[in-house]
Amino acid sequence: MSTGGPNPPSTPHVKAMNCPSCGAALSLRSFTQAVSVVCDSCHSILDAQDPQLKILQQFKKATGEDPPLIPLGTRGRIRGTPYEAVGFQRRTIHVEGIPYSWHEYILFNPYKGFRYLTEYNGHWNDTSTLRALPTLNSHTGDVTVSYLGETYQHFQTAQASTTYVLGEFPWQVRVGEANEVTDYICPPRVLSSERSGNEVTWSMGEYIAGRDIWKAFSLPDGPPEPIGVYENQPSPFSTDTKTIWTIFGAFAIFLLLMMLGFASFARDEQAFQGAYIFDTNARSEASFVTDPFELKGRTSTLELSTTTNVDNNWIYLNYALINQDSGQAYDFGREVSYYHGYDQDGSWTEGSRNDSVAIPSVPPGTYFLRVEPESDSGHGTIHYEITAKRDVPQFSFFGIALLALLVPAALITWRSMNFEHLRWAESDHAPMESSSDGDDD
Amino acid sequence: MRNLYMIYGVIVLGLLGMAEYRGWSLASVNEVKNVPRSVRDNPGSYRSVYAVYHHYTGGK
Repeated sequence: MSTGGPNPPSTPHVKAMNCPSCGAALSLRSFTQAVSVVCDSCHSILDAQDPQLKILQQFKKATGEDPPLIPLGTRGRIRGTPYEAVGFQRRTIHVEGIPYSWHEYILFNPYKGFRYLTEYNGHWNDTSTLRALPTLNSHTGDVTVSYLGETYQHFQTAQASTTYVLGEFPWQVRVGEANEVTDYICPPRVLSSERSGNEVTWSMGEYIAGRDIWKAFSLPDGPPEPIGVYENQPSPFSTDTKTIWTIFGAFAIFLLLMMLGFASFARDEQAFQGAYIFDTNARSEASFVTDPFELKGRTSTLELSTTTNVDNNWIYLNYALINQDSGQAYDFGREVSYYHGYDQDGSWTEGSRNDSVAIPSVPPGTYFLRVEPESDSGHGTIHYEITAKRDVPQFSFFGIALLALLVPAALITWRSMNFEHLRWAESDHAPMESSSDGDDD
Repeated sequence: MRNLYMIYGVIVLGLLGMAEYRGWSLASVNEVKNVPRSVRDNPGSYRSVYAVYHHYTGGK
């Protein structure tokens, strides 16, 4: 130890040693801070604090090779600080007999100490040890923890065992060592507690995209594609859902104002009215034309209403609205039928005596109607009245617009709910799946 | 996502405003040009595509 003034910071050097088991050269990147070091060659776990590098555990080949995606010795910048990958371990939990494994990378900076990256199925977390303890809140059946003003929900508790190690560790690592690991989530963060005997270590992870890791460490190719939804993966929809419903509310209010505006300012002006009688027994030509009438104002709708006295009968009216000056015609047909009776279920009715249709975009001008009624012969006379109204607001469009605004908002909400469903399906609080069939059997 | 929805909503409301202002309707209407003036004197001479109606006689 120097007793003089502070030495200028020097470039970190790798300390060279040899494995007492196989004799292979060892490199110690985290200097005196390493507690365990694993031989790259024979995978023996050595005591890095012991000058003789005492063998702590012989690594069993049966555990299988698991090359790290970030090769040990790779340097990169995490949140602006340079780190070097010095250690790597695989940890495994068993849920209903199925093993699930994730990887942990130990990063080291001589001034900042250790930091960790975890990876599971292409999902990455930047993790560091907590300096303060979170507060455990136990409510009725709902365990949460609070930390720095945020509430974390319990996600999973499992026994995690170390199944593969490589490089250096700031603790005495052992393959086969098992700890109770509990995760609490508040996406994009996760609080993890690791219980080993009476000792509990807390760490906080923050979800980080694989491509950012690849960029930070200048790794070749691309990161593995994430599979599924990870416990603290931020939902791409969570912030949008609330905002979109707020926007939808604003649009709905605007829609209502538009409806009131159009209803108030529409001319809704009667342009023509005429009463007629159709004799179903007559064999003469039934078609006729009305007197001309004026349609004023801008191009707009013309609502044509037909009121009849049909009774267990029908009338079909073949209409043509013809512009007297230009010869342009709007052809359309309307059926008006009304039936009623009585059967074993009681009285019934079908159809209506009235009908209404809006002819679209009729320019102003002088028009007349050509009307051609049809019905079954021998039913006597049918009285009917025709009324034409100019510029009548079409409220069906407001319904369609409301639906058009509602569908994307509902779709985004559904996708958000589906994302959360997939997240929690992997937890200790998985939503109950409905059975594929009933319990009728 | 929210920006897209905002743009989409403005387009929907814009179309609605245009539909109401221009008097659009969902009704099926056949437009015919150059109907002869003689139709006023002889209405039976004009036959539209909606003529010769076949009434549905089923139902209750």
